[in-house]
Order: sequence, then structure tokens, then C-alpha cells
Amino acid sequence: MVALFIIISMNFIIPRAMPGDELTNLLGEDVTITDSTIVELRHEMGLDRTWTEQYLDYWWKILHLDLGYSFHLHSDVSRIIVSRIKWTLLLALPSILLGAMAGTVLGALAGWDGRNAGRKIQTLLLLAVYCTPPYFLCLLALYLFSFKLDLFPMKGFYITGSTLDIAHHVFLPILVMTLFSLSRNYMIMRGSVIQEKSSLYAAFARAKGLYNEEILFRHVFRNALLPIITLLAMDFGFMLSGALFIEIVFSMNGMGNLIYDSLLARDYPVLQGSFLIITIMAVSANMLADLLYSRFDPRVKW
Amino acid sequence: MSEAAITGKAPEVIWKSKSWCIGFILFLSFLLMALFAAEIAPYDPWARFEPYQPPGSEHILGTNDMGHDILSELIYGSRASLLAGFGAAILATFIGTLVGLAAGYFKGMTDEALMGITDIFLMIPQIPLIIVLAAFLRPSLYLIAIIMGLLWWTSTARVVRSKTLQVREMGYVQAARSLGFSDPHIILTDVLPNILYVIMPKFLLAIASAMIAEASISFLGLGDITMKSWGMMINNAFNRGGFINGYWWWYLTPGLCITLFVLCVVLMGCAFEEQENETMRLQ
Repeated sequence: MVALFIIISMNFIIPRAMPGDELTNLLGEDVTITDSTIVELRHEMGLDRTWTEQYLDYWWKILHLDLGYSFHLHSDVSRIIVSRIKWTLLLALPSILLGAMAGTVLGALAGWDGRNAGRKIQTLLLLAVYCTPPYFLCLLALYLFSFKLDLFPMKGFYITGSTLDIAHHVFLPILVMTLFSLSRNYMIMRGSVIQEKSSLYAAFARAKGLYNEEILFRHVFRNALLPIITLLAMDFGFMLSGALFIEIVFSMNGMGNLIYDSLLARDYPVLQGSFLIITIMAVSANMLADLLYSRFDPRVKW
Repeated sequence: MSEAAITGKAPEVIWKSKSWCIGFILFLSFLLMALFAAEIAPYDPWARFEPYQPPGSEHILGTNDMGHDILSELIYGSRASLLAGFGAAILATFIGTLVGLAAGYFKGMTDEALMGITDIFLMIPQIPLIIVLAAFLRPSLYLIAIIMGLLWWTSTARVVRSKTLQVREMGYVQAARSLGFSDPHIILTDVLPNILYVIMPKFLLAIASAMIAEASISFLGLGDITMKSWGMMINNAFNRGGFINGYWWWYLTPGLCITLFVLCVVLMGCAFEEQENETMRLQ
């Protein structure tokens, strides 16, 4: 909670502490206004009052879900964000879930017994994905599948709007994003299982005569899963920013592209509103992770 | 725990690891490339030739829309990319080690306060924050590296802290304390050398993530326009039509360079960690 408080306060301080005029910083740079409107706006936005008053006012607005007004898009920031966020969720949720499930299972198997050639190649490939900047892989996928092979559309979420059409559009982005979350979960799960398998309880389970896979999935898996919970929480928390590059490359109108566009247009209210939403999601996901942690590992007190 | 097994043997044993050798050779060659960019590069990266040439005998990797030689750009770009990666990683590791050592060694209130701060930093969405800051500040390469360094010390701090908590109870630390050495002296001569091996892989991983982040920020067009980094090259290709027109040589090689460099750094980090697991098992 303290973290949330500090980060939201930071969001208040940044535009006011940065070089340049406060009003420009708060409104965005491509807005042209006359001198009389400047005075009017200054008064309306409370910039002529003291900092403490402004700060209290800022909190009041946030608690009422009022994130300001975008002069660039001529709409309320909160309304813009709500209209964009569902598309990002459509993209990010399946990817994170799929990636987490496939990544943990494959990673556990690779960590348990990684000696055969297939698993080694698999590890190496996923390591390469892990080391690639996200947007570069997107570019490659887009070039190969959409440009050369013409299998998938180049951009956007839909043309006609039918479910099938949307599915066709989001398939490739989801694939790339799944691959990414898979590679990260895979690496961590693999390392975690490698550590766990040399512990005494695993040796005991073997001595008891359990089968190989049975030891892995009944005993080791549960303990090795702990670091994944944190990662998963971070993934959910940073879901909106994680899809950023994918959305930009595939020109999809989600949160990521909203951030990118507002960045190019220097539309600061939208930029800050998005940052705020991302922060709130990250903090709540973290708290959820702590809760889950104590569920999985009774030794941890919340 | 016999510390000779960790600090004394480590340099010799690690050379037996295949991933370390591959990673180290690649790492060294990238480093040399950045250092001797002026000697290796066939042309000046800003010199202009005929634009849009595919790879050929005269320009091995082709030219871009401005007619700049891609290979020369690539070689000079390694300087900016490595500088950002190393700068951020050194700063992050320094802060992380400092915080971790202080929290682990002094325990109590110091520990709780420092770890509380670490938790807060862990929750800050880093890439969006960098974007917001970069949008306001019109960044230079150094500024980006500094911001990244200031944000990325958290995981190092956690690892260093937990290791310091172990090491501070060791016989030799307690002996030094009973002999009346001052705390800073003990931390520097007894504790720090014995946790170096957990700092190293963290440092390498920090380089890797800093490089990816720098490339990502440059891709968004927030990078330093005066410096040609690999991320900047991809950004140019994406924005100035290299992608749409299928000039693959323009963006493929910088992308591969980033991937390769990050890969070799991660390989080295993995070798370090395996090494550590091995010594733990031997004990």
C-alpha cells in the first residue's frame, strides 16, 4: 500500500518537477492556445494554487477515477483507457496463461532430465528467444508469416469484426507473446527443478520406490513452482506494458499503442493515466502473489 | 563452507564449462569490436553511398536509406549499445551490492528499511516509467543508462543480502569482529570477497536486460539520435520504410547482434550459477 501511495505521488511530482512550463507538461505539447485561455486553464487546473492544495486535489480526482482530459484526443483519459484496455487483455491474458502452463511443465521436464538431445535443443532455442528483444521477434514473425507467406493479416484487430476474423488477426501476436512468456517461465522452472532435485525429500521419494515422473509432478513440482508465482504475478501486473512492443509492431489499437501514440504526440495526460493504471495493476498483482505464496508455502507468513 | 572451494578454484573449474567458453569468446570479440571500431569498420558510419544496396562485394551488409554502410554502422553501434548496457549494469550492481551488504550485515532496522525500499522499487513498472521520464527529458544515452541503473538494483540487493546474512555468521567474520575491526573494514575485506561469486552472475544478467531495454527504448524513438546504437538502427529501418519494402539486411543484422550479445552474456551468467550449484553439491 505504501508503494502504491509513493508511486502515485511520483506521478504527481514528475510533470511538475520536469524542466519547462507546468501547463505544457500537463496538457501536452501540440496544443496551441491563446494567452487568455492559458490564464483560464491555469486557474481551472489549479496551477495557481499552492502545491499542497494541488496534491490533495490530485488524490481527490484519482479516487473519483478522474484521470484528466486529453486535449489531443478530445476525450476523457479514463474513457480512452477503458476502450483500449479490453483489446490488450484479449491479447495478453491467453498468452500469459498459455505461456505459464506450457513453460512450467516443459521447464520442469527439462530440469528433471535434460540429457537427451531433443531437450537440449529445446533449451537452446528457448534461451535464444529469451535473449531476443521482444519487438525483433515480432518483426521476424510478421515478415515471415504475413509478408512472405501471406498467412496472417499485417495489422490491426479486425476487419469485419466477426469472432473468426478477430481470431485470425490475434493468432500471430498471441503466438509470439506466448513464446516469450514460455521462454521465461521455462528458464526459471528449469533452474528451480535442478536445484530441488538434489534435495533430500526427492532422494527419499526415490528410495521409497516412486516412479520418476511421479516424483517430479507429485513432490518436486510443487516446491519448484514457488519462484514462478512471483514471475506470474509480475507478468499480470506488467501485462499492459508487456504487450507494448507487440502491439506497436502489429499496429493493434490496445494500451501499448495508446502509450506509443501519446508518446509521439507528447500527449502527457494519457501517458500519465496509462502509467497510473499499470502501476495499480502491478501493485495489486504483487499483493495477490504474496497471498498465493502463503497458500503454496505454509512456512511463509503473510 | 570452505571458502577456498569457492574463491580459489572457481577460475580454473569454470573453463571446463562449455557454455562459459562459448560465451566468453563471443563476449571478448564483441568487446574488441567496440574498442577497435575505428580500425575494423570499412567505412565511416556517416559516410554516404548509394542507398538501398543489398549485401554485395562492396558493402558486405548493404546500405540503408541514407546510403550509410550497414556493417560500419553495426560496428560503431556496438559502442553505444555496450556503453548503455555496461553503464546501467555497473550502476545497478554497485547500488544493489551496497544496499544488500548494509541490509544483511547490520540487520534490524536498517535491514527492514532498506528491504522496504527495495520492495517498492520492485513494483515500479520500469519500462513505462523510463518511457514517461524519457518523454519529458529528451534523453541522452547516458541518461537512459543512469535511469536504468537506478531502477535495476533490486534483485542484486536481495541476493547479496541473503548471502551476507549467511556469511556474517561465519567464524572468520566473527573472529574479525572480536578482534575489534571496524564494520566497514570487515565488510570490505571479509564479507565482500566471499559474496563476489553471487554478484558476478547478477552483473552479467543486468548487462543483458539493460541491453534489451536500451534497444527497446531506442526502438520507440526515445533513444539518443546522435548515437547509432543497434536499437536505433532497427528503429530507423522500421520507421523509414526498411521493413515495409523488405530490405531485410537493414534490420536483421542489428537484431541478431543484440540477440547474440545478450545470449553470450546470459551463457556466462548461467555458467557461473552452475558452478555455484556444483560447489554447493560437493559440500
